[in-house]
Amino acid sequence: MEKNGDRAVTPTAADWVDWEVGTVDRRIFWDQAIYERELERVFARSWLFVAHESQVQAPGSFVTTYMGEDSVIVARDDDGINVFLNSCPHRGNRVCFADSGQARQFTCNYHGWTFGLDGTLRRMPKVGLYKSTPGFRMQDWGLKRARVADYKGLVFATFAEEAPELEDWLGDFRWYLDAVLDAEAGGTEFLPGGATRSVMGCNWKFPADNFVGDIYHALWTHLGGAEPTLGRHGGMQVENAGSYQVSVNGHGWEFNDSFLGNAATMGDRDLLRYMRSRQEAITARLGKFRADMWGSVASATIFPNFSFLPGYFTFRTFQPKGPLKTEIHAWTLVPKDMPDDIKDRFRRGSMRTFSPSGLLEMDDGENWEHSTSANAGWITRHQRLCYAMAPGGDLERNDLPGIVSAGQLSDANQRLFYKRWAEMMDAESWVDIPVAQPTAGAKVDA
Amino acid sequence: MSTSLDAKPNYLNYPRLSREQARAAAAQLIAMTGDGSPVHDALLPRIQRFYLREARLLDEERHEEWYAMLADDLFYWMPLRENRFRRDKRPEFDPDNMALFDESKADIAVRIGRLASRLAWTEDPPTRHVYLVTGIEAFETAVVGEYEIHYAFVQYRNRSEHDAAMLCGRRRDLLRATGDSFQVARRMILLPQSVLLTKNLSAFF
Ligand code: FES
Ligand SMILES: [Fe+2]
Repeated sequence: MEKNGDRAVTPTAADWVDWEVGTVDRRIFWDQAIYERELERVFARSWLFVAHESQVQAPGSFVTTYMGEDSVIVARDDDGINVFLNSCPHRGNRVCFADSGQARQFTCNYHGWTFGLDGTLRRMPKVGLYKSTPGFRMQDWGLKRARVADYKGLVFATFAEEAPELEDWLGDFRWYLDAVLDAEAGGTEFLPGGATRSVMGCNWKFPADNFVGDIYHALWTHLGGAEPTLGRHGGMQVENAGSYQVSVNGHGWEFNDSFLGNAATMGDRDLLRYMRSRQEAITARLGKFRADMWGSVASATIFPNFSFLPGYFTFRTFQPKGPLKTEIHAWTLVPKDMPDDIKDRFRRGSMRTFSPSGLLEMDDGENWEHSTSANAGWITRHQRLCYAMAPGGDLERNDLPGIVSAGQLSDANQRLFYKRWAEMMDAESWVDIPVAQPTAGAKVDA
Repeated sequence: MSTSLDAKPNYLNYPRLSREQARAAAAQLIAMTGDGSPVHDALLPRIQRFYLREARLLDEERHEEWYAMLADDLFYWMPLRENRFRRDKRPEFDPDNMALFDESKADIAVRIGRLASRLAWTEDPPTRHVYLVTGIEAFETAVVGEYEIHYAFVQYRNRSEHDAAMLCGRRRDLLRATGDSFQVARRMILLPQSVLLTKNLSAFF
């Protein structure tokens, strides 16, 4: 009965995760009860990525997406971007079935209740039928709204009233995020056409922990994908010299200082030539340290399930669909002012490498699926996984915010990801969840 | 004349379409509505044979022989599908949008290189494929020796123990006569899925 059973979640999450030694209980990738608790305590409490503002630029433009397993509408009206549940409060039907578009309002198919771009209930067929209902007020029956905030074009939302502000949630991670969000003046945008979406039979945490700090796998998993562009056994050059891991509030980024090590695997010389031509300007804008992160051998996750790859600039959410299923939604982010031809090269380059048809992504999915499905075995799932590589968190650099590790080849970020996960899983409320104090604004805003 | 796969290829030197060429190819595919005059009765069986052979070569992982069935100026395109309201005025297929495949022949060569490297662990042991093509229609175009082809396909994959995926779709090809056979010059692959209900597209379409 334990298999996906709904027995109580005991012991505490801190027992599932020993982030100091670096072991993780395999049941957290399998158990239905743990998954239900994740929806409540991780997803419903976190600031979750919902859209890039370029997707909802004009009043009336909208996209639909998910926060945890909650379907939401992200819509712009004259006052800004609204995020609200995509489920009618009348009988619960899904309200909007389009992935994106333009709308003046959203009308539910079932009885025709109509909601504004801010989610408020505007009209109901034969509204007079409610006249005799004591105390009935239309304003009580809008679509439930989330808090919304953005950081340099990335729009996040949360239904948690007590969550800290987005700037505290991201904290000093913002300083690093600028390496992809603010490398060029003029802001960024998602390339058009919507998200590339695919389904994987894996627990959502495997891809999230892969992106937060597992460059180790690239040396082996991606040999086949890298060979035709980088040469036989050339693979990616990954060394601990000149490379780092940083972690803030569970968000993590592993990277080296190669400037375009990731970008090189797209196999487009003209694109690399262009990127090199921008190195001086980006260095002047961000300083050498962060400029070198722009397209380098790197990956990152914004806790819990929003990840990206510098160089390819693929941004993706790992949407949980039960403990054994994850939907990947991916977009490509580019500086708005980049020449159209270069944007198009990124469009094709990111597709060729990191999309369901991508030479590199195709190698990943099967690993995550079988890391998940193997837990069907009772003995198997009562083992612990090894996240023990290199102590990490050891680099004292006053100029680098967050918990910094020397060398990108370590499990440091992944241990801190699971530490964060355990903190949120065990906390009764948001006040019990620690938030790292952002360092002086000057550094972060520099 | 066609580019063949070298023993030790430098894929970066393989021909890629310019963006303008790719856009023009996409426009041509979008405009293919199957309204032209059907090809001569004697030609249709030859075209059908071409597609049956193509399906078999792909099933048998005879990628180099399949590669020779592609024209050097190949444009190979699988657009994304989005759920949109019928009133939505945006064109459904736009070559500037994100896509699942948007390739030149060079990119196909790289994909074959991945498999040929024997380092693609997820294809070892190999996936088993069955390709069905059906409903082949062929029409004349304004260019002599170039034909507009419409057909449907089912692509079934199975690997390991329980790993199976079935994708159905439609293809539109611009097929070019070359001596006594043909080459695919443009291909648009339309899968009906907006969320791909499979983890990857590790296959040729
Ligand atoms: S369920 Fe939406 S109007 Fe009744
Ligand atoms: Fe990977």
